[in-house]
Amino acid sequence: MVKDSSTKRSIPWIRLSMLMVFVGAIIVIAAQVLDQKLHYVGEDVVPGPIVPGTQYPDEKFTGIDVPQPINFSHKIHAGDNEINCMFCHTYARRSKVSGIPPLSKCMGCHTVIATDKPEIQKLTAMWEKGESPKWNKVHDLPDFVHFTHQRHLKRFLFDNEELDVSDAKRVCSMCHGDIAEMTVAKKSRPLTMGFCIRCHEANEGPSDCTKCHK
Amino acid sequence: MSSLFGNILKGWTDYTKGIEEGGHHKYEHMWGMVIDLDKCTGCNACSVACYAENNIATVGEEKYKARQSMQWLRVERYFDEPDIDPGAIDDENAMQERGASFLPMMCQQCNAATCEPVCPVAATYHTPDGLNAQIYNRCIGSRYCANNCPYRLRVFNFYSYTDEDGAWPEPMKQQLNPDITVREKGVMEKCTFCIQRIRAAKDKAKMENRKVKDDEVKTACQQTCPTQAIMFGDLLNSESKVTQAWERQQVKLGKYKQDRENPKLRGYRVFEELNTDPSVLYLERVREE
Repeated sequence: MVKDSSTKRSIPWIRLSMLMVFVGAIIVIAAQVLDQKLHYVGEDVVPGPIVPGTQYPDEKFTGIDVPQPINFSHKIHAGDNEINCMFCHTYARRSKVSGIPPLSKCMGCHTVIATDKPEIQKLTAMWEKGESPKWNKVHDLPDFVHFTHQRHLKRFLFDNEELDVSDAKRVCSMCHGDIAEMTVAKKSRPLTMGFCIRCHEANEGPSDCTKCHK
Repeated sequence: MSSLFGNILKGWTDYTKGIEEGGHHKYEHMWGMVIDLDKCTGCNACSVACYAENNIATVGEEKYKARQSMQWLRVERYFDEPDIDPGAIDDENAMQERGASFLPMMCQQCNAATCEPVCPVAATYHTPDGLNAQIYNRCIGSRYCANNCPYRLRVFNFYSYTDEDGAWPEPMKQQLNPDITVREKGVMEKCTFCIQRIRAAKDKAKMENRKVKDDEVKTACQQTCPTQAIMFGDLLNSESKVTQAWERQQVKLGKYKQDRENPKLRGYRVFEELNTDPSVLYLERVREE
């Protein structure tokens, strides 16, 4: 009897150890797969539909048109004549906001250039009255978001050896779309938190909440 | 596979190192403060400056009495008990003419903060700057954090103060600070060590490819204090005035009981024995006996 029980006892230990090895292997493999999924930053930074039967919100975003008092053509200035974005939006490299040029900057050229166009005549009339056009804000971030143009331009333009400063519009178009093909600017990117975070993950930007939330 | 074990091993070494060094090894900065209570006159200028800097709503007398005030920095007053027998309490000469002791209390930016683990949505968390941050747009207003704060330094927006008869009637909206959100109803808020100023200084330093200098960041309360009782700086920078003050007082982060050689040193941290590990060092007031 004693001998029997001892042999019976020894068998479950082998089974148990085999089971444990098996379970351990499964856990390691599962953790490995999860680890890869969590840290996955692949070539397609924009993921496709995650839930079947739904569409990813960013792909649906077709842009928001904002009417302006004067039909200022970005295409003529930045596209055809290849004026650098930072010629007019001077504060982009110096501060949080890119800034809208004062009317005096427009009149610096348009006292001489294209004075016969109706939009320019509107501008001249404002200039003589001493008014300034009331531009509407296109890319309006919520109050709780801190975004600084200065730091982003330094990272993507001035510290970027592969890009010349004269090509600044390629950096701007990362968030603002192809402005050089537009008349008045259109909000062509969603500028949601997911939009920001995906770029931050791909370019190793900071991921601390207080970097952007104030 | 190697990455997995690498992560685990790296995490383990970080963890043990964190325990040895008090958990501050990975931080870029560790913002700390020193408040000299000997210099403090209890003038409340710091509190006013805090209101102006951080868009804090003034709530009015009624709501203040209902303990719904939004003070991020309050100056507490403590009176000594008169050292006489109760029968002689009418004798004016027997009373001590000492006045109050003042204790300016702002968020202590605990490194083992009790408010952080109870937040159901992780709206409050620890930043790599050693700050206890509050993300307003993430907050759902469960108020667990305020209940768990031993210092009672978190305040809750019970009402919306942004409308016309709120805290800022029309021309006063012009004085709001654009670098910080105007909080809405149902959001918890607290002292941030003027994170907008820290952010500005860090941005400036990065633009110039250098480190943040000592004294580059000044909090609103520090800037306003007429007796310069408040010092603010980086505790990881060994040359900063704050670090030197902490070393002089032999107070170290990551401890709930300081083993100091000299019992006459004035430095103490409030509720240190609760092991919240606060970043604000107070220098006790010295009085004639």
